[in-house]
Amino acid sequence: MNLACKEIRRNILRASRASGHGHIPTTFSVIEMLCAVYETMKFDPARPDWPERDLFVLSKGHAALGFYSVLAHYGFFKPEELMTYGAFQSRLGCHPDRLKVPGVELSTGSLGHGVAVAVGMALALRIQNSPRRVFTLIGDGESNEGMVWEAVMVAANLRLANLAILYDNNGSQRRSLPIPNPTERFKAFGCDTLEVDGHDLEALKAALAKPATTVKVVVGNAIKGCGCPTLAANMFEWHRKSPNPEQFEQFMKELEAA
Amino acid sequence: MRKQFKDTVVELADRDERIVVVLGDISHFLFIPFQEKHPTRCYNMGICENALVSIAAGLCSQGFHPFVHTIAPFITERSLEQIKLDLCYNRFGANIVSTGASFDYAWDGATHHCYTDMAILRLLPRMEVLQPGSKTELDTLIRSQYNSGNPTYFRLSDFGHPHDVPVKFGKGNILKDSGAKVTVMTAGPILGNVMEACADLPVNLVYFSTIKPIDKEIIERFRHTQILVVHDAFGLLEAIHEVPDLRVSCLGLPDQFCVWYGTVHDIRKMISLDPGSIRNWLQKKLAATENHC
Repeated sequence: MNLACKEIRRNILRASRASGHGHIPTTFSVIEMLCAVYETMKFDPARPDWPERDLFVLSKGHAALGFYSVLAHYGFFKPEELMTYGAFQSRLGCHPDRLKVPGVELSTGSLGHGVAVAVGMALALRIQNSPRRVFTLIGDGESNEGMVWEAVMVAANLRLANLAILYDNNGSQRRSLPIPNPTERFKAFGCDTLEVDGHDLEALKAALAKPATTVKVVVGNAIKGCGCPTLAANMFEWHRKSPNPEQFEQFMKELEAA
Repeated sequence: MRKQFKDTVVELADRDERIVVVLGDISHFLFIPFQEKHPTRCYNMGICENALVSIAAGLCSQGFHPFVHTIAPFITERSLEQIKLDLCYNRFGANIVSTGASFDYAWDGATHHCYTDMAILRLLPRMEVLQPGSKTELDTLIRSQYNSGNPTYFRLSDFGHPHDVPVKFGKGNILKDSGAKVTVMTAGPILGNVMEACADLPVNLVYFSTIKPIDKEIIERFRHTQILVVHDAFGLLEAIHEVPDLRVSCLGLPDQFCVWYGTVHDIRKMISLDPGSIRNWLQKKLAATENHC
């Protein structure tokens, strides 16, 4: 595992342990995808509102702790602040708030909204003839929501080549409404779709860098809880849980071995 | 009012390149000249109201002033969460412009009736809720509020009232103040019926084109009177009650779906909001007030 991605996961475990809040498996699913976006985008952590920056929207807002840990890694704020996750007066709620957290472009949490707002952002940049790009990360569970597909249809119809959608294909809906063959579905919707290993940083970066003539979808095949076999094997049980001291030590050891 | 909406937006868009029109496959032909003139700023995106609102939020995030336009129940009741979160909570000030207010599409049945829109939208922080009653009111309110920075709801009707009321955002209009003990309060197109109903009755008459923020000052001026609210939608009565401890009665909508077709005038008559029924109700209330005094 990439050392930076491993340290980001350690910080997630520390923050979850300190705060009592969870969503660990879903964040472990998307760390490489988030890092690939930040390795690709133009941004300046010292100037989060830099007018020439690219935009990222975390549509699956419940992966906020992973997002915060990545933002801290790339210098938007100090990693120590992660320990305030979910606390009453913290900036870092369990879903991200654009008015509180530097680097957050949209407050999300209700599933399906972020990708549609990202379509609007991409359209706005195209109207302005701007070279800036828009990236958004959606979940496979989130994609049970009809608005995801409304947004994808509009993006494909408008051929928004400045928009890249990362799809976290971690099987989270296998007990309710699974989405088999997402790559075929996105292709059928008219998207320029690539399927890669969702934990292969270099493959993800290459997919994001590849030129597109319409909206791009990168299906990242991922493991919910990647890095900790116990979390991966029990992803539903651990969806919102926070580890006790013994479990924390166990997860840190598992992560070390990853 | 739809043509006025188009005329006003076309004129504003010539001067303000931040205006973008997003259509939900309604008013397509009306906006063809706009689309030809500003091809990058007019999109008939399709019948996907939820996404349209959120896309408008994305346009706002980059400095645009979008107008999202389609049929009232679908852009308000169906898309409530998108308006609540992507516009209000995220502080993106898009303009929502509906058509088919209350029973304008009477003939289409209850799926196309829309009377809770203003009542639910006025509950959302930062939301501006406007019910223009005529073309000139619409023109004034669009020019005033399209770039206010807050999400703004413009509720268009095809059956405006014929009166000339000089409206201003956030302000009510006193159309008649005879020092009467009873004050009729109303809003939007139903003013036509209300004016006809209370022409020679001893009442004061206050009119609102802004439901939120409601003009509390003007309500306070008449707090010593019996207030009679006449409205063909939910929202105005609730807004008036922002001023506490008033004596209010309301002639409004029944707690049932209006399952008839015909025209807006047929429906208004059926639910006692035609001029004759309004007058009867007002006369009964006036008599009760006199007896009480």
